[in-house]
Amino acid sequence: MTATSAFFERLTVAGQDPRFSNVCGSVRFDIRDGDRLEQWLLNIDHGRMRVTRSAGPAETVIRVSAEVAEAMARGEVNGLAAITRGEILVDGDLAMALRIGRLFPRASEQADSDGRK
Amino acid sequence: MRDIPGTVSCIDGNTFLVSDASGDVESSSNTPVGLFAADTRFLSHWVLTVNGERLNALSVDDSQYYEVTFFVVPGGAVDYVQADVSAIRRRRIGPDLTESLTMFNYGQQDVDLDVRLEVAADFADIFEIKFNVQDKVGSHYTRVEPKELRLGYRRGTYRREVSLSASEPATFDPHGLRFTARLRPGEQWSTELRVVMRALRPDGVDFRAPLRALRPHDSTLPESVRAWVEAAPKLDTENIALQQVYQRSLVDLAALRFAPLSLGGASVPAAGLPWFMTLFGRDSLLTCLQTLPVTPSLTPPTLRILGSLQGARTDDVLDEDPGRILHELRYGESAAFEEQPHSPYYGTVDASPLFVVLLDEYERWSGDTALVTELEQEARAALAWIDQYADLRSTGYIWYHSRNPATGLENQCWKDSWDSISYADGRLPSFPRATCETQGYAYDAKIRGARLARTVWGDPDYADRLEREAAALYDRFNEDFWLDDRGYYALALDGEGNRVDSLSSNIGHLLWSGIVPPERASRVVEHLMGPALFSGWGVRTLAEGQSRYNPLGYHNGTVWPFDNSFIAWGLRRYGFASEAARVAEGILYAATYFQGRLPEAFGGFDRHTTRYPVRYPTAGSPQAWSSGASMLLLRTMLGINPHEDHLAVDPALPSAFARIALLDIPGRWGKVDAFARHRPDQP
Repeated sequence: MTATSAFFERLTVAGQDPRFSNVCGSVRFDIRDGDRLEQWLLNIDHGRMRVTRSAGPAETVIRVSAEVAEAMARGEVNGLAAITRGEILVDGDLAMALRIGRLFPRASEQADSDGRK
Repeated sequence: MRDIPGTVSCIDGNTFLVSDASGDVESSSNTPVGLFAADTRFLSHWVLTVNGERLNALSVDDSQYYEVTFFVVPGGAVDYVQADVSAIRRRRIGPDLTESLTMFNYGQQDVDLDVRLEVAADFADIFEIKFNVQDKVGSHYTRVEPKELRLGYRRGTYRREVSLSASEPATFDPHGLRFTARLRPGEQWSTELRVVMRALRPDGVDFRAPLRALRPHDSTLPESVRAWVEAAPKLDTENIALQQVYQRSLVDLAALRFAPLSLGGASVPAAGLPWFMTLFGRDSLLTCLQTLPVTPSLTPPTLRILGSLQGARTDDVLDEDPGRILHELRYGESAAFEEQPHSPYYGTVDASPLFVVLLDEYERWSGDTALVTELEQEARAALAWIDQYADLRSTGYIWYHSRNPATGLENQCWKDSWDSISYADGRLPSFPRATCETQGYAYDAKIRGARLARTVWGDPDYADRLEREAAALYDRFNEDFWLDDRGYYALALDGEGNRVDSLSSNIGHLLWSGIVPPERASRVVEHLMGPALFSGWGVRTLAEGQSRYNPLGYHNGTVWPFDNSFIAWGLRRYGFASEAARVAEGILYAATYFQGRLPEAFGGFDRHTTRYPVRYPTAGSPQAWSSGASMLLLRTMLGINPHEDHLAVDPALPSAFARIALLDIPGRWGKVDAFARHRPDQP
């Protein structure tokens, strides 16, 4: 399994995220690998998250290459910087996309275990 | 980085153009002149000649911040000017730039005009200009089309482009465009130049297009400014200087508003021209706190965007922690390619407590509990950050020590230059550091958070806990930071917990936060108003007699209007009304030497020696929290404070101001007026 699918599978299982309890909306990830298009649809209803592999309509669409998606899932991407340099394309609600970005890990987080409370 | 005297600015939020007095731009690598948007220079060269001659300004009208008019004639300043031909350049800035050029022939003969505009775009990132970086990684391109010149820059998927077109027939070449015209006596000729700045995605979509959609034409700007001024309270005073400062500050706050793409059109204050034309956590929060009585509409979008970009993870490059409120957000190439950590950078320790302080203060003015409910999680996360992530030594204080030694900030308090925190003997303390005013903000945030928890969030247990923590912090702080032999609070604690003993303006903020026991306040005030700290214009950042004191030291001796406005607020909180009035008088009078526009900082020289406030060489101007300072000083002189559903007024004016009335102050009470007269029994 790729890091990307593992990431979305984790979200599917988690189902609920208290950080999104004020959030309602839909976001679709369109991940392109050559001719192949992988689509994941996130529906958020007051923190309850439904994740499906779907091409269904969404208020916000995030388009990335498979390579960038893998890096995101591994926590190696600063989302805002990647948007600014044109690697992540957001159509729709940019604020929503930035919120969703918080679901992705950051590499230094995984290495971090020293002395923080 | 150096001073740029004689420049003329045209501003609309984070889009701005800085030129010379004739309207030309000739950038050198380290001077922030040119046309900028989103931290990128889209025009680095913009020079007009007529028949081969440069133009010279006879007068400049920059009374509107978004529009500048230059009255120019050909010929050098030293020559006798035979002004048969004259011209008007009128530029207006919005999401893009338009400049109309009109040439007049008042001579007796026909004239043939060769009008040439030389153009170049270096696409420099503002940080490349600040640090004088010359080599760009990507490549430039030029496209000459029959009716347009396009200059672009590309680096991988990053692309920025500027296009230039004109309303009259012109010949375009890679370095500009040329018009030819023949004017008979008494005739005039004009054209409108249009400069469009694009931030292009690989699919050709322009990031900046929504900005244009929100403001379809730059001609809507005058209306928006009129509405902004109209919505603010009216100041009625016989004092012309005060009237000028108020109007200037109000308009400058309008100039610095910008609409981040993620806010759907709502505006937040950019910090200041030219280096800080973007969102800063601390600056925008303090500006909102200063301006609540006058322009409360700035606050909700500021809290919302800072909440939406609140730290969620641990990232050492960005100094990010969960709950931490950001320091600085940039959109330029260095942020895009993570050469600078500004997307966003979280290296500030005061924005998180100040986020809660502003949310509470805003509710006290507005009664807008809906926003307090909307931002409950963000406020709780900011409060949690104080104890869970900022207490690096587990001693109950907010400490800082950047995890990004290469490009992070050493000092993460408002005095964020490298040498701003020192012992009285000049040594620099070890890390981590805990500055005193930050502990005051944390105390205030807990007290205010408790009020919100009790009155809006319906969580009395959390309120009790926050109050217990605040009380413990109060006791601890007054034990650990107080220098009893000197009668003031240490500037900071060093990495070993020792007191950093400099006398600084930071102690004034402690009064504002309410962490000073009343019986100690008068000793603190004696220092603030004593000759070592008080220059006559205001309280110096660092007192005379400290080793690193320098009246032109950025954080080591200059006077900052914003700093003084919070000190004045603190003085009033503790009942030192006449001292607060002295600070207000000094700062507001200093403004008259800057045409009503308070700069970021000015020299700490003694008022009686220099008789005028000495300009600080690289001070930003306009600067949001300096414009906000005059608003907060007005508040402190009027003594206006929300009490339940009404506005209490308790004026204390300095003798310089005989009468002040602020009419139609908006708030939960609707609109009310505050009147003040100087009373002879006051100073």
